[in-house]
Amino acid sequence: MASAGLLDAILQGLITGTIIAAGALGLSLIYSIAEVPNFAHGDMITIGAYLTLALNKPGAVPFVPDFGGLPLVAAGIVGITVAGGTGAVYELAIFRRFRSKGADLITMVIVSLGLALVLRNVVLFLVGSGNINYNTERVTNTNVELYLTGNGLSVQTVQRQAGDLVTLGEWGYGWLSLLVIVGVAIAAGVAVYRWRTDDTGFETVHLVSPRVLGVAAGVATLAVLATVLQGAPHAIDAAAWSTSVGVSIKYGVILGLTLVTMLAMNLLLKGTRTGRAMRATADNMALAEIRGVNIDRIQLVVWVIAALLTALAGILTGWFASNLNPNMGFSLLLPIFAAVIMGGITSPYGAVLASLIIGVSMDVGVFLLPAEFATYRTAIAFVILIAVLLVKPEGLWGDV
Amino acid sequence: MALADFFISLMTFVTIYSLFALGLNVKFGFTGLIDFGHVAYFMIGAYVTVFLAMPAGISSTYEGLSGLGLATMFAGVPGGDLLGWGLALVLGMLAAALVSLLVGIPTIRLREDYLAITALGIATILNAVFHNERWLFNGAFGIREIPRPLAGVFPIGTGSFQLNLLIFGLPSVLALGYVGYRTVKVVRPLSAREATLGVGATLALAGSLIFVITTMLGLVVNLGIFSLNVDNTIAFLLLVGAVVLGRQALRETDHVGSLLALVSAILFSLWYLGQPLVELVTEGNTSDLLLNLFWLYDANAGSAGGLDYDRFFFLFTLVLLAGAYWWVQRTVNSPYGRVLRAVRDDETVPEALGKPTFRYKIQSLMFGSALAGAAGGLWAANIGFIDPTQFASTVTFFAYTAVIIGGTANNRGVILGTAVFWVINSGTRFLDDFFPSEYAQQLAALRLILIGALLIVILYYRPEGMLGEQDYDIDLGRGGVSDD
Repeated sequence: MASAGLLDAILQGLITGTIIAAGALGLSLIYSIAEVPNFAHGDMITIGAYLTLALNKPGAVPFVPDFGGLPLVAAGIVGITVAGGTGAVYELAIFRRFRSKGADLITMVIVSLGLALVLRNVVLFLVGSGNINYNTERVTNTNVELYLTGNGLSVQTVQRQAGDLVTLGEWGYGWLSLLVIVGVAIAAGVAVYRWRTDDTGFETVHLVSPRVLGVAAGVATLAVLATVLQGAPHAIDAAAWSTSVGVSIKYGVILGLTLVTMLAMNLLLKGTRTGRAMRATADNMALAEIRGVNIDRIQLVVWVIAALLTALAGILTGWFASNLNPNMGFSLLLPIFAAVIMGGITSPYGAVLASLIIGVSMDVGVFLLPAEFATYRTAIAFVILIAVLLVKPEGLWGDV
Repeated sequence: MALADFFISLMTFVTIYSLFALGLNVKFGFTGLIDFGHVAYFMIGAYVTVFLAMPAGISSTYEGLSGLGLATMFAGVPGGDLLGWGLALVLGMLAAALVSLLVGIPTIRLREDYLAITALGIATILNAVFHNERWLFNGAFGIREIPRPLAGVFPIGTGSFQLNLLIFGLPSVLALGYVGYRTVKVVRPLSAREATLGVGATLALAGSLIFVITTMLGLVVNLGIFSLNVDNTIAFLLLVGAVVLGRQALRETDHVGSLLALVSAILFSLWYLGQPLVELVTEGNTSDLLLNLFWLYDANAGSAGGLDYDRFFFLFTLVLLAGAYWWVQRTVNSPYGRVLRAVRDDETVPEALGKPTFRYKIQSLMFGSALAGAAGGLWAANIGFIDPTQFASTVTFFAYTAVIIGGTANNRGVILGTAVFWVINSGTRFLDDFFPSEYAQQLAALRLILIGALLIVILYYRPEGMLGEQDYDIDLGRGGVSDD
């Protein structure tokens, strides 16, 4: 029986980071293209989560006929769509008017603050301040236990079923195969990166950044080889080091959904006319307008996309934590802002990378620090933000 | 609770929050620093003042740092506890200023939006520290035994009913009269037609409100469905009338401020004097009217009435607010204040003239934070119990709303805006009585929705606020050429 360790904290942090990334991606679009430091972003997340709740558990929300409720997936899809509509409302009813008056950054900050106040209290007004969760199947965690023995690495998957620990599978790797797996994975990653950066020129636009492709290739190779080269388990009684990593189907879903969303965003930004117009607007709104970009349409698209992303982040947060409350979004606002500023506000890719860094450092920090510091989880994100602002205010990734 | 008591407690809130908002105005209005962590200094002021003033071992449930007991230190001297408490308050202000210095040095150079989010983060973290560290100031359990300055002295009175009424009642009536006189001066520019339209709109609005309230009461009690009965129809017609008259008045007038002053004066008089007047006519009951008129005189204090502690504390905060107002006015009207405004408008200009803008910004931050700290100390003494949940970041946002409603960079506007904000937020609490108590949370949320919407609407239609930026004693002249 191994106990959870650093590896578990890192995985947890990656999941936290992907959820933050869904919010940060939207905020970075609003920040760079609409030029609004959107303090309502957290509460837009809450709205998305509760819109889905209204369809998933209609009895919990007043003014919604109790039709029994949709499964979470269907409710989520409808909820995200409706949330996209609310994004259009924010832009048409509020931000377009202020933009046409030439409002400055301070005014936009305070307008978004007013919107945040309205949104959070609409949720409080309709649903109340209590904790609530989605109506969905319970997901059981599986613990992957790793034992490092004299003969190599041994793996056990353990699940708690009806109160008892049940070992689901058991296998091992010899030292040689471990070496092969890690070596080949790194080699594959480096090779793909080299291959993609071969043709570097001023004209080249990579649809997916070579760095991202390299890491993806490395991880994929690692996974394939780890499956193929499974051997007999070793005796684990004399394990030199052991650790346990909790995984569940939730992790896969969250990672997969966010990855697909990011790829789609990437395609939109780099592969379509609208995306090019969006990037041009972020660069220089006046110039883009002169070149025939319909600014109003672009801003509308930005707000709708951002609202879709916040709704996704809200649903994932609510589902991952099995808990929704009116403050859920606001407590994500600080890490999201930290990620966006750390990544450099004009770079969606930087925002995603910074989200992962912040997610990991929050969970690893809580793991490493003494137990009484667990309540300062958000504070860790903040310390990183302040450090970045003081040392490298242009962000990690620079301009993209 | 009698209306006058409610009025006093509401006005005490308004003065304390005005002090808080004045501090924000120094930072935000005059220097252009978006400090979203303003409430942190409010919190520090409150905790440090209480910590310094309260004696050690004050109660068995308190497990934080033991207090220094400044309030009892000067017990021998007459007015000694006021002296000790005042010393604690000054030290609380200093503590708030020092913390803002520590926060400001690394962050004040940041771009405005970065500064906003960083300040918000620091305030959130500080709040989390106060909430979680029980050894510090008792954590989430808060502090219950808070020393209040001169608490043992009140109520005071002379022992003679007539004399008390004269001493405390006369200033009350005079104060009401003075406010009325000032209101008349503000309202005077309105023409007779505009005034008639305004009065008509207000009366119609008030009438429809009364009808709606009685209807809502009936609705909730009977759990019936909204139906087209006589009350509803009258309320609806009155509301339509109010809208029509109000629109007409707004369209014709050039003096929106005067019109608003007239409307609020009528609404206040209806609420504060009209209600007891109806009682006087229908039941011959004069006591409520007299209590409201002589609002400084509390008939229940002592044997022959007198000045009770709440009323004293209101006057006390009012004096402190007046002092702070004078101090801020002097600052912004000085050459020093002119540099602050130049930093706000375009930092490169004063910098090119050799002004150390970094130092100016830090000083402005510390000044504003010290005022917030003073407000915090008063808040603690007024409310008698503090815990970290009272200092959530929404308090900062409320202050921003108040400043923007009243007029950014206008000290009088800030006080007006705070009054408007708290009248909307707390003054409408009496409406809660007409709804079952389980809806209290909904009503609170509804008010905040209204306030958020009001913030956006004001920023759109009147970004300079109700009063606009104030005039300064020193004007900049015309391009450096002197007139004389």
